[in-house]
Amino acid sequence: MFVVKNLLRRRVRTALSVMGVAIGIAAIVAFSAIGDGFQASLSTYFSESQAQLAIFSGNVADMAMSRVTREQKERVLAVPGVLEVSEGTFYVAASAGLRATGSLPALLLFGRAPGTRLMRKYDNGELRGRLLMKEDEILLGFLAAENLGKEPGDTLDFLERTFTVAGVYKTGATWENGGAVVHNAVIQKHLAMGDAFSLGFVYLKDLRQTERVQNDILNAVPGLSVTKATEVPDYFSDQLQYIDWFVWIVSLVAVIIGGLGVLNTMLMNVSERVREIGTLRAVGWSRPMVLWLIFSEGFLISVIGGVLGLAWGVAGAEILVHFAPKGFIHTVYTAEIFGKAAVVAAVLGVVGSLYPAFRASRLSPIEALKYE
Amino acid sequence: MIRTEQLVKTYENGAIKALQGVDVAIAKGEFACIMGPSGSGKSTFLNMIGALDRPTSGRVWLNGHDLTNVPDLDRIRAREVGFVFQLHNLIPTLTAAENVEIPMFAVGRARAERQKRAAELLELVGLTHRANSIAVKLSGGERQRVSIARALANRPGVILADEPTGDLDSATGREIMKTLEQMRRESGATLIVVTHDLEVGERAGRWFRMRDGRMTEDAR
Ligand SMILES: Nc1ncnc2c1ncn2[C@@H]1O[C@H](COP(=O)(O)OP(=O)(O)OP(=O)(O)O)[C@@H](O)[C@H]1O
Ligand SMILES: [Mg+2]
Repeated sequence: MFVVKNLLRRRVRTALSVMGVAIGIAAIVAFSAIGDGFQASLSTYFSESQAQLAIFSGNVADMAMSRVTREQKERVLAVPGVLEVSEGTFYVAASAGLRATGSLPALLLFGRAPGTRLMRKYDNGELRGRLLMKEDEILLGFLAAENLGKEPGDTLDFLERTFTVAGVYKTGATWENGGAVVHNAVIQKHLAMGDAFSLGFVYLKDLRQTERVQNDILNAVPGLSVTKATEVPDYFSDQLQYIDWFVWIVSLVAVIIGGLGVLNTMLMNVSERVREIGTLRAVGWSRPMVLWLIFSEGFLISVIGGVLGLAWGVAGAEILVHFAPKGFIHTVYTAEIFGKAAVVAAVLGVVGSLYPAFRASRLSPIEALKYE
Repeated sequence: MIRTEQLVKTYENGAIKALQGVDVAIAKGEFACIMGPSGSGKSTFLNMIGALDRPTSGRVWLNGHDLTNVPDLDRIRAREVGFVFQLHNLIPTLTAAENVEIPMFAVGRARAERQKRAAELLELVGLTHRANSIAVKLSGGERQRVSIARALANRPGVILADEPTGDLDSATGREIMKTLEQMRRESGATLIVVTHDLEVGERAGRWFRMRDGRMTEDAR
């Protein structure tokens, strides 16, 4: 009864510090959900290719900068056990040339070669129309098709070409659905890549030999990176790490702002209630009891802020998803995110209230009772 | 029973001598009144016998506890002493009844028990009808009654009142003194009142006079 009533007497102040915590928690939840969504898309992207290994040029920070030469590909194909290497290229097409009806800042283009195993993933029962066969054909992800208002058979002008929409696909990777698939040659010409490609999807004759083939390729083709498809997201965790870092910095700022908010509120509450605390001590409350009272007040602020922040974070992330171009972001809510939010809220509560509570508990009852 | 022996309290490393060797003995159930000029050490004396503070030297016994040796003064305060201050010191946002419950938290009373006892005490001080009013809405006299009820919450052996009528008009002050005295009679507790007002101490059994940290007893 006590704790709640004490918090209610300074409603505005309590509300502000609850909000401070809530905003911090909301930021953590929203950014984590979006970051996790991105990672989930990335691993789906590779698992759906059904390739066992991925090859790309060594030591590139950005997958799009990777160039695997034709000669390197031949050497990979010469390694026993390799069945096929499907070539992949990437390009982010600015929407300026797109003159699209929808609002797209950019269109993510995936270069593929007709007839390769990699192309089969788009023919997954969700495909409307057919797979692309020629350079002047394009496959649209279903979200991109919605955005652009295109159907199979329609034409699309961009990259100084006119494409015919051969089909509309739907895969498990959200950003693939927001993008489009073109013939590798389109991107290779546009980027003057010659006949090199960025990412090779390697299919093996025998899955059990993945480890051995990986080592053989590493030895046979210097300068090439070879990773198990399942591990590509981990390999690129260096890149993904800046998402992690971002989330961490947001969390840290949240902890600092939220913590300072709770701290400030509780210090003010304590300094306003010196006489009251003196009275509690005079009627027999021990130091631990006073400590616990003030601590509970601060902790309750964080708990309420945490719950509110969870709701705001989910709402905020979903609003972002709703207003962002379709397919660019999506969210994944894991128990870990909620756990992290709960831990941060608890830490805020502890950090923000322990010191004020300690101060309150150290007040001498006699001094406190004299205090005007 | 309260007894002190060569009770000394100094502040600021001895520069201020608030109590300079006080020896008194007040028996259970007595009503004692302490008078004296401002700064003479009256409140300091109450703080010592009320287990709010420890003496610099000398000894204090309260209901058989040697206060110079108990490690845990909070416990003694919670169980043996009831304070009534000049300013009522109620928690403004809590109701009268909740204010009376506060000391009972310190001795770990269950909720039902706390509420029952608070109702009982408010009835004793004639405030049943105000039990659910929050403290800020009460008049000065009513607040002081609540603080008397609060002082009695844990059935203390001693009630210590430091200028309980100092903030009230004389009619209300008389009412409050009547209540305090009635409480003393009914509970059998020792009542010690510090006051500037001769009328307040009228009915006291014993009169003490404090001057420069020394206590003398007036014959009656
Ligand atoms: N915490 C303290 N630190 C320093 N000096 C103190 C402290 N408490 C009391 N004193 C001093 O001790 C002396 C006695 O104070 P005390 O409060 O006991 O007087 P009092 O008789 O209650 O006076 P009043 O009638 O004004 O309440 C005073 O000189 C006072 O200034
Ligand atoms: Mg005084």
